[in-house]
Amino acid sequence: MQPMLSMRSVSKSFGHVQALIDVDLDIAAGEVLGLLGDNGAGKSTLIKILSGVYYPDEGEFSRSGDPATIESPADARELGIATVYQDLELVDTRPVAHNIYLGREPRKWVVFLNRRKMEIEAAELLKRLNIELPSVKVNVDLLSGGQRQAVAISRALAQGGDILLLDEPTAALGVEQTEQVHRLVKSMKQEGKAIVLITHDLSEVLDVADRVVVLRQGRLYADSRSSDTNLNEVVGWITGAAPPRLSKAEALT
Amino acid sequence: MITALRKRVKAQGDWTLLGLGATLVVLIVYFSIASPYFLATRNFVNIGQAMAIRGLIAIALTVLMISGGIDLSIAAMAACAGMVAASLIMEGMNGTLAGLIALVAAIGLGGINAFIIIKLRITPLIATLGTLLLFRGTAYVVSGGDNKAIGVNTWSWLGRGRLFGNNLPISLVVFLGILIATMFFMRFTVTGQYLYAIGGNAVACRNTGVKVDRLRSSAYMFTGLLAGFAGLALMSQGGVAQPQALFGAELDIITAVLLGGVALTGGRGSLLGTLLGLLIIGIINNGFILLGLQVYWQQVVRGIILIVAVALDSFRRGGGYR
Repeated sequence: MQPMLSMRSVSKSFGHVQALIDVDLDIAAGEVLGLLGDNGAGKSTLIKILSGVYYPDEGEFSRSGDPATIESPADARELGIATVYQDLELVDTRPVAHNIYLGREPRKWVVFLNRRKMEIEAAELLKRLNIELPSVKVNVDLLSGGQRQAVAISRALAQGGDILLLDEPTAALGVEQTEQVHRLVKSMKQEGKAIVLITHDLSEVLDVADRVVVLRQGRLYADSRSSDTNLNEVVGWITGAAPPRLSKAEALT
Repeated sequence: MITALRKRVKAQGDWTLLGLGATLVVLIVYFSIASPYFLATRNFVNIGQAMAIRGLIAIALTVLMISGGIDLSIAAMAACAGMVAASLIMEGMNGTLAGLIALVAAIGLGGINAFIIIKLRITPLIATLGTLLLFRGTAYVVSGGDNKAIGVNTWSWLGRGRLFGNNLPISLVVFLGILIATMFFMRFTVTGQYLYAIGGNAVACRNTGVKVDRLRSSAYMFTGLLAGFAGLALMSQGGVAQPQALFGAELDIITAVLLGGVALTGGRGSLLGTLLGLLIIGIINNGFILLGLQVYWQQVVRGIILIVAVALDSFRRGGGYR
C-alpha cells in the first residue's frame, strides 16, 4: 500500500551536531507508529521537520506518492500533518468548541462567528471519537488532563489532520486518563488516520502502536512491527545493546 | 465527576457580574439614605456625564486588556488629541476637519504603542509608561504649557449637548452607543472572539494561523482612537484644550476595568463588567462629594478599590483547577 507520508534520506544538523542522519521513514494510513529513542536521539528534530518548524539540510518527502515540500508549519498543515504538542497549546479561557475550531471557525456573513454551528460540529466530532465531556461550552481550564489532551487531539483532527504527530500525549496523565487517550488513538486509527506517537513509556508503545521505530544518535536504528518484538529488545535498541533491525524499511525500498 | 464539573461551571459563571451588581445596589441604597440629593435626576445626569468621557477610554481599554495588552498612555493620548484639534482650530481650520485630524493622530499614537510593543518587543506596561511621558510631554511642549481656549466650536454638541429636556448628555448617549456596539463586536464577531483567545494564549492562536500581531496592533490603535475621541469630547465640553487634561485618569480607568472583571493576564472579562465598574467608581466619587467628605479621601478609597479589584482578579484565577 502507498504510504501516506514518506521521507527519504533526511538529514539535519545544528552547527557541529548531527541531529538526524540519512533517515528514511514511511507512515501508513490506519497505522499507529511508535517513535522511540533516548533523549537527544533525534525524535523531536524529526517531529519538528515533519511539522515544518525545522527545514532539513537534505532529504525528500512525498505525500501519498506525490513529491511534497515542508518548509513551514503552513505547508505541513496543507499536507494534513497536525502536531499535538506536549504543552497542548490550548486556550484555557476559551470554551472547548472554540479551542477545537480555533483559526477555522465557521462564519456567518463573513465576519460573524457561527457559534451554533461550531458547537454542534464540535459535539459531533467528540461523539464520533467517543470523547465524553460535560459540554462543548465549558472553558478548557475546567477540564482534567486527559480531557484537555482529547480536546487538543480533536483540534488536530478538526483542522483537517490525516497524519497526527502526538508528542508525549500521556506524559502528564493518570492511568484512567491515559486509557482515555489510548482509546482515542484507536478510534482515529479506525478512521484511517496515520498516527505517530512519541513517548517514553515503552509498554504503552508495544500496547498501542502497530509498529515501533527507534532512533539512535540521529540514525534509524530499528523499525519493526510491535508484534515481532518485545520490551527487552526495544530497550536494547534504545540503548544500543541490541543489534539494529531495519526489516520493514528495507522491504519497502 | 461530570456533574461536579457542571456545578463548578455554574458556580463560576456570572459571579463577578452578580457581585458587582449587588455592590452597586448597596451603594445606591446607602447614598440615597445618607444624602437627600443623591436620588435626584440631576445628580444622575452628573454621574453619567462624569462617567461618559472616561468610559469611552475604558471601552477600548477593556478590549485591549482582554487581548492581553495594557495601555498607561490613554489619558496622555486624549490630551494630545484635544491639543491637536484645538491648535488646528486656532490656526483657523474648519472644526470638523480639525477634529478628524486629531482622531487620526490619536490612532497614530496607538500605532506607536503597538510598534514599540509588538515590533520592539517591549512589555506593554513599560512601553506605555514611556509613551505616557512622551505623549504628555509632547502635549505640554506643543502648548507651551498653556491652555488653548477655543470656546464654542463644531464639536460642542459632543461635550455639552443634552437631549430630552436637558436631561440626557449627548456624551453619555455616545458612550453607551459605542459601548453596545463594542459589546456586540466582541461577542458575535470572529475577530472579537480572537481577541479573547489571544489574551488567553497568543502562541496557540499564532500556531493555528490567527493573525495575532495584526489584531493586537488593531487593539492598540482602537485604544488610541477612543482616547482621542474622549480628548475631543473633553475639549468640546470646556471649550478649551489643556495639556494636563485627564491627568492621572489612567489609574481610575484601569481600576474600573479591573474591578469589572477583566483579568490582568488577559483572556477574560466583559464590557458589561466594565460598565458596572465605572458606575461603582462614579457613584462612590459622587457620593463622597455629596456627603461633604474631604476630596483627598477619594484618592484613599480609589487606592483601596484598585487593590480589591486586583485581589478579586487573582482570587478568580485561583478558583479554576487543573
